[in-house]
Amino acid sequence: MTTQRVLSQSKETLLQNYNKRLKDDIKSILDNLTEIVKTAKIEDETQVSRATQAEQDHYEMHVRAANIVRAGESLMKLVSDLKQFLILNDFPSVNEAINLQNQQLRSLQEECDKKLTSLRDEIAVDLYELEEEYYSSSYSQWDSTDLPLCEAYRRQDSWASPDSSCSSTQGDREDMDGPPSQETNPQHHLNGHGTASIEKP
Amino acid sequence: MANDRLRALEDTEKEIASVLQCAGNIVLELSKDKPNASFLDRQLVQFQSSVNRVENELSSQIRYLTQVATGQPHEGSTYSARKDCQMALNRAEYAKVKLGELGRTCEVMLEQQQQQQQQQT
Repeated sequence: MTTQRVLSQSKETLLQNYNKRLKDDIKSILDNLTEIVKTAKIEDETQVSRATQAEQDHYEMHVRAANIVRAGESLMKLVSDLKQFLILNDFPSVNEAINLQNQQLRSLQEECDKKLTSLRDEIAVDLYELEEEYYSSSYSQWDSTDLPLCEAYRRQDSWASPDSSCSSTQGDREDMDGPPSQETNPQHHLNGHGTASIEKP
Repeated sequence: MANDRLRALEDTEKEIASVLQCAGNIVLELSKDKPNASFLDRQLVQFQSSVNRVENELSSQIRYLTQVATGQPHEGSTYSARKDCQMALNRAEYAKVKLGELGRTCEVMLEQQQQQQQQQT
């Protein structure tokens, strides 16, 4: 709590500093311009000659103009400091920006995943035929030690519950992200390898 | 996505520049032999209004900040959403690569088949 109070005190002093700078710079600009305009008035010769007075006025205006520019520059620096302070400490707007960014990123991700899912559904049919062709042809290097993933799942499920092999395959279809066609195929080549009913040469 | 307040501060910066520009024009006009009084009046009015606008805008921003600022750093981030999005894009890229390989394999097979047929005929 003490730390918080100390920190907010420094924020308080910082903001008071900003206020002071603002007031000083605006006052400086106004006063200096007023003085320049006053000095521009031509008066009769008083104590010094006109040339000297002119020289003095010229120098004074030069200095006052430089003061105006300095005050303007200092105001710009103040604006830049305020911007920095806003970005770091204006929590409502920071929260809003974060939420907006999160929403955009999430919607992009959902769209991406939706498109991938629809792609999967489209390809599943073709992939089923391709896999059927491949695994039942003589080119396939399939052996029982190098299982396709779906077959591995099926066997694992059949070890776990030996009488629910069909339902677990159906369950795999819902659970897995990969092509669902792989899951129906093992029934074919399991029949082809293990038991008598060979479907394809 | 830029903040309204930040945009207001940008406008204030332009306003400060116009304040200095007006002051310069006034001094320039005064330096002439026959200064144009109406021009001077217009520039002066513009100068005063700009200075007032700058002061009001900046003091209102400072007042808002005194209400809103705490000493705590903001600890929110968009990292998780960004990571999820990145992973989704990686998934899409991977699917694209795999489909490309599949397509190339099919084409190679078809070419081989065609060559074999041509050799046989």
